[in-house]
Amino acid sequence: MKPELKQIFLQARAAGRSVLDEPAAKRVLAAYGLPVPRGVTVVPGQKPALEGLRGPFAAKLISPDASHKSDAGGVRLGLADAAAAVAAVREMEALSKMKNLRLDGVLVEEMAPAGIELMVGGLIDPRFGPVLMLGLGGVFVEIFGDTAFRVCPIDRLDAEEMIDDLRGAPLLRGARGRAPVDKSRIVGALLAVGGEAGLLMELEGELAELDINPLIVAPEAATACDARIVLARKAAE
Amino acid sequence: MSFGAVFRPRVLAVVGASATGVNPGNEFIRHTRALGYDGRLVPIHPHAASVEGLPAAKSFADVGETVDFAYIAVGAPQVPDLIASAAGKVRYAQVMSSGFGELAEGRALEQRLVEAARSAGVRVLGPNCLGVYSPRGRVSFIGGASPEPGPVGVITQSGGLGVDIILRGQNRGLRYSGLVTLGNSADVGPAEVVEYFLGDPDTGVIGLYAEDIKDGRAFFRALRAARGAKPVVVLLGGQTSQGRSAAASHTGSLASGAEIWRGLARQTGIAMTRTLDEFLDVLLAFQTLAPRGTRPTRRCVLFGNGGGTSVLAADAFGSRGLEVVPMPEPAIAALVALKLPPGTSVVNPIDAPAYTLRQEDGRIAERILDIVLQHGAPDAIVMHINLPVFTASTIQGADFLQNLVDAAIRATARHPGRAHFVLVLRSDGSEAVERRRREFREKAVKQGIPVHDEMAAAADALAGVAFHERFLSSRR
Repeated sequence: MKPELKQIFLQARAAGRSVLDEPAAKRVLAAYGLPVPRGVTVVPGQKPALEGLRGPFAAKLISPDASHKSDAGGVRLGLADAAAAVAAVREMEALSKMKNLRLDGVLVEEMAPAGIELMVGGLIDPRFGPVLMLGLGGVFVEIFGDTAFRVCPIDRLDAEEMIDDLRGAPLLRGARGRAPVDKSRIVGALLAVGGEAGLLMELEGELAELDINPLIVAPEAATACDARIVLARKAAE
Repeated sequence: MSFGAVFRPRVLAVVGASATGVNPGNEFIRHTRALGYDGRLVPIHPHAASVEGLPAAKSFADVGETVDFAYIAVGAPQVPDLIASAAGKVRYAQVMSSGFGELAEGRALEQRLVEAARSAGVRVLGPNCLGVYSPRGRVSFIGGASPEPGPVGVITQSGGLGVDIILRGQNRGLRYSGLVTLGNSADVGPAEVVEYFLGDPDTGVIGLYAEDIKDGRAFFRALRAARGAKPVVVLLGGQTSQGRSAAASHTGSLASGAEIWRGLARQTGIAMTRTLDEFLDVLLAFQTLAPRGTRPTRRCVLFGNGGGTSVLAADAFGSRGLEVVPMPEPAIAALVALKLPPGTSVVNPIDAPAYTLRQEDGRIAERILDIVLQHGAPDAIVMHINLPVFTASTIQGADFLQNLVDAAIRATARHPGRAHFVLVLRSDGSEAVERRRREFREKAVKQGIPVHDEMAAAADALAGVAFHERFLSSRR
């Protein structure tokens, strides 16, 4: 494991957290080569430094009291420009005060290019060890449970078969007039998370569960737009 | 790990057999002797000079040589000390006794058992199981088990289900290289025995009944490394109750044991089954048929009597991902040229009523099968006969059934490797029909033709083979 990742987990544990906050989780993903949106964390009260970033933006509340942030009203998407993003940051700061939530900051990110939403997850199973999941996003996973699991480490063929195993796979292949999705981008994301030197294999002792939801797959990129990492009860020695 | 000493013990000790009554220890001795065990069999008894007519030893130390396999049937509280006394004297001990980790109050005792085994250097099978069955080693924990060995190696975490697998299985034509019941799997887990069977030249197909594989990771690694070298058939118990109680993520709430096993099957080519009967049917298919990685089974030709049976069968095959589609034109033309009686449909399914099957005293089947094998491009052929239609008929001019079965055996022998051939012999359950089915089954299975009771069972069996074949074709 890279030292800077070890540091992320140590800090979270020292702060008594059971879940990594979104910026930390995304640093972990990025370390394994998963594309994440460009963005900055705005510390409470400070002026957002959005130079060099291009709208539209997403703004997200970072609070240990709101780990399901959209439920707490802590997610704003499609903010057209820097001014709108700054306004959203101020609103969230006010919101956290009003709801009495501890505020670590507000994450402002570039919106990922539109595409098909997938969910990539992982968990450390007590019997089988690291296990990888792929789901088709939105209602497909919520209502139909359209998922495929594999025991890690997976290889390229496993990744391709996971995609084919989804009942909604025809959507990815371009059913109903949609543009077909570049399968190699999904394969790449799956290998980064569940492959031989992937995130789940290397961090088996540190994390218990992982959600990347959504992974937005566009023609130009597959971007991990939100991430949640649940820490293992006890850190690896 | 070599479990050779378990399946072919040269020195076998039994602890707990009674000098006066009959308990599981005595049963093990009796069934093992009935199977013709020819090694040294030593009852261990604190006082008696002989048990079951065999000279007894007072302890493991008293045996005078290393015990390959000790069968232990004494009260649970005595077991840890007994295992401690086996250090350096016993290689494998099977603890059939209950009262360990399967009960909350027995968990500490199981922990003590495991610790005793580790420090004594004795490998423990069980506890809470029934024993080992090995036709080659002439060892059995139940009566009536066949002395005839075969290629099927089975691991079961339930002893009772092991009895079903042996007895019902052998009546279906299954023959075993060995079967071991692992109960709580406190020390030796299923993965270790799977590895042993993978390397065992006498084992060609592996069956596993599992409720809780604690060494799941080792199991995955072993099967992954084997790359489908031997078919593995799995029946899982207790999956619905294994919800993930405290998931803190979306992924965690979606993951279930069954979902993970489904994925693992795709990664390793193991055939998952849902019932005991399906488990046995798929094992029989692998015992008799040679899986083809080059041409996975897809197109099936169905041939036999019974219109509704053909229709239902086509549905059953379709629902298991197997195709029942019209044969190529040359096959149909050749079948038409046979000028079979009206009412015979030759497209696929080939629906041949009893009066068609009685042509040439039943030998017509050979000509039909020849055509299908030569021109029908089948991956598998399933021939089905509703036996009571023939046995109950007033037309008894010949032994039509015998001729039909023999015709099938001859035709398939003439075209080796062309298609999997499966026989379905349907019965009304009457004694006379069951008797004939048994005869036919024995003969056919010896010729490498699996016999199933129903078309849906044949569909399940071929679906298992097809799944494994698709795995082979994708990974080689």
